[in-house]
Amino acid sequence: MNENTMQAMPSADVAAEASASAVSGRPIAIQVNNLDFYYGKTHALHNITLGFPERSVTGMIGPSGCGKSTLLRVLNRMYDLYPGQRATGEVLFSGQNILGSGLDLNALRSRVGMVFQKPTPFPMSIYDNIAFGIRLHERVSRSEMDGRVEDALRRVALWPEVKDRLQASATALSGGQQQRLCIARTIAVRPEVILLDEPTSALDPVSTARIEELLDELKTEFTIAIVTHNMQQAARCADQVAFFYLGELVEVDSTARMFTAPRESRTQDYITGRFG
Amino acid sequence: MGNEPAHTVTRYDQELDRLRGLVARMGGLVERQTARAIAAVVDQDEEAALEPPELDVEVDALEREAESLAIRILALRAPMAVDLRVIIAVLKITGDFERIGDYASSIARRALKVEPLDGALSFGALRNMARLVQENLHSAIEAMVNNDSECAMQVWGSDTAIDELYTAMFRELVTYMMEDPRKIGPCIHLLFVAKNLERIGDHATNIAERVYYAVTGEMLPALRPRGGAAKKSG
Repeated sequence: MNENTMQAMPSADVAAEASASAVSGRPIAIQVNNLDFYYGKTHALHNITLGFPERSVTGMIGPSGCGKSTLLRVLNRMYDLYPGQRATGEVLFSGQNILGSGLDLNALRSRVGMVFQKPTPFPMSIYDNIAFGIRLHERVSRSEMDGRVEDALRRVALWPEVKDRLQASATALSGGQQQRLCIARTIAVRPEVILLDEPTSALDPVSTARIEELLDELKTEFTIAIVTHNMQQAARCADQVAFFYLGELVEVDSTARMFTAPRESRTQDYITGRFG
Repeated sequence: MGNEPAHTVTRYDQELDRLRGLVARMGGLVERQTARAIAAVVDQDEEAALEPPELDVEVDALEREAESLAIRILALRAPMAVDLRVIIAVLKITGDFERIGDYASSIARRALKVEPLDGALSFGALRNMARLVQENLHSAIEAMVNNDSECAMQVWGSDTAIDELYTAMFRELVTYMMEDPRKIGPCIHLLFVAKNLERIGDHATNIAERVYYAVTGEMLPALRPRGGAAKKSG
């Protein structure tokens, strides 16, 4: 009869796995505390508190206009480029509140890199696309530069495809190649954090899979935050997932927990496709 | 499970409803199989004995239909959260129902071989056990249809009584067999009937566990409350 006892337990281990945080125990790379954000008079983010664990992927999901991209733009102060936008609260990165004044924004953005929805190669050669960013922040010799460019291209698995045409224009590359080039450009300056805003929404499935594979590798070294409309992509790539709705952080949990048994009904309605 | 707002994609809701309908029908059929199998034994009803194996064909067909629909939904809709849990629960519950159908058929096939010898074998203990098993099976199916996690929890905790009755019957039958070797044949058949009933009870418990998970997202603990005596019977 003991076998009956065994029969009652097959799924219990899965439960334990699903409830344990996938990223528990990791130090926090960026800690957002009580963040509010305004586009002029529009209150876009409400009292957000969220930690981004080091060397893991945080996926941010939610319907359009929920504030997920806004939060991403706060993390490297991208919003500073536009007048009338302001943030209150704190965003701690290496013990410093990056919302404070007197911050060297160029230095911040070299430590917190960003990749956008549409590939944004500069209208220059493949080689210079990578070298450009490095030159902005460091002075390196020609041979070292060659090494850094090759290394960055290898890390995004683009090297075999472009090594014989490094001087060709980057705009001639395919969409997927361009996006990998942009990621290479971002990691070439050796940031600590990489922000990705819908990085594969303009790409075909094979290119998308290559980027996702790349994220898996990059997270061993970088802290990654990815905004995506593709729930399956969040499920595939992220270690923890945060769900935003109308400028609020509704729920954040391990990816397994979020997609099997979220705690909030708003999360469940969104991820199961029940949003009106 | 049934209380959520509708999906944006209406067809998705229709498919899930159809899936729920298939399992509910399976549940109704296996309840009927179990009831008829028990009647076949305790009332020595020949007609009742024919029914469970006949219904089994339909139960098996429903299992295949529910399974292929569930796989289709998994592949085409990439269900998440409660939808995912319901589909996983359905896949497992249909397996439980299929087993229950087999056990009921097996009981029905033995029904007329357990004819009491000299009135020594009473069906009293079997009746009690059958009543509890039927109650548990019925409640498990109700819990499933109504997405009632509390009801599921009750079923899950009430299998112990069935196990204890089975253990008592086991001892009683062993005693009869030792007293009179001529009773070994019918006693063995009755023992198998009791064992099959006990297994039906276990599957009702499994169903309750799956319903509880589908509704709440939480797993019940691996070990459920058990009677100490039940373990010794092997």
